[in-house]
Amino acid sequence: MTIYNLYLFDRDGQLLHYAEWTRNKQSGMTREEEAKLMYGMIFSIKSFVTKVSPIDLREGYLTYTTNKYRLNLYETPSRFKFILNTDVHAQGIKELLHQIYTQVYVEYVVCNPLCQLNKPIESELFAAKLDEVVKQSPAYASRPA
Amino acid sequence: MAEEAMFDFIHMEAVSYVFQGGEKISEDEAISKLEHMGFATGYRLVERLTRESGRYKDELDIMKYICKDLWVTVYKKQIDNLRTNHQGVYVLHDNRFRFLSHMAAGKQYLQYAPRYLAFTCGLVRGCLANLGVTCVVTAEVTQLPACKFQIQVQRG
Repeated sequence: MTIYNLYLFDRDGQLLHYAEWTRNKQSGMTREEEAKLMYGMIFSIKSFVTKVSPIDLREGYLTYTTNKYRLNLYETPSRFKFILNTDVHAQGIKELLHQIYTQVYVEYVVCNPLCQLNKPIESELFAAKLDEVVKQSPAYASRPA
Repeated sequence: MAEEAMFDFIHMEAVSYVFQGGEKISEDEAISKLEHMGFATGYRLVERLTRESGRYKDELDIMKYICKDLWVTVYKKQIDNLRTNHQGVYVLHDNRFRFLSHMAAGKQYLQYAPRYLAFTCGLVRGCLANLGVTCVVTAEVTQLPACKFQIQVQRG
């Protein structure tokens, strides 16, 4: 079970934070282009899924799985999107993302008077705590599966 | 607890409100406004909080009250260390000051830290003033989130 990387978007699609733990293949684009691509895809998938879904969904949590990886999206009530790429066998990611939101983002960004909420996050404490929470979770392993 | 968050956010907004003048207002003026706000708050707060307790024996007792009861009521924790030279100078160490603990753990944002301590300096000065101790309170930060408040009692 491995965690590859994390993107954090605000409600307008601006990339606030990117963190990676294991990434063996680069996408060949700059960070901004990749972020725009990711956000566009998430936006389209969400609207597609809400239209086509046969059951009512209100969860705020969405994943898609390929043979190689799984992408997990957690959307908060304030429309902030946490996107985590993990391997296919990862469990408990919904709780992990919820934990990242409440214990790391709210604590160290919302309560930090020097962090503006619509700008990329510069607080080192946020990055350090995020790293800590992810590494402590059972879904993280030091060797890629 | 919702009330704790309320106090944190109001304090955050008070600091940014006072500093929003831009070039027209200097750092010292803004800090002294915050200190004045803290003084008025502390002056009335201590009256409210010490309604029931009797008179304090001496200055050191008053300082201990500040370190324990006042800090617990306002910041939900006690002061970690109190030092004195028994000649009117007291130093209060807080290793995890509430307003700084969400900002950084180290040297980042160090230059902005004094803004978030000014209100507390005033608060302490106001409390002591109403308890009969005239003093000057200053604060120092070398590494977030720990900070030191130095109280210098004016005598004579």
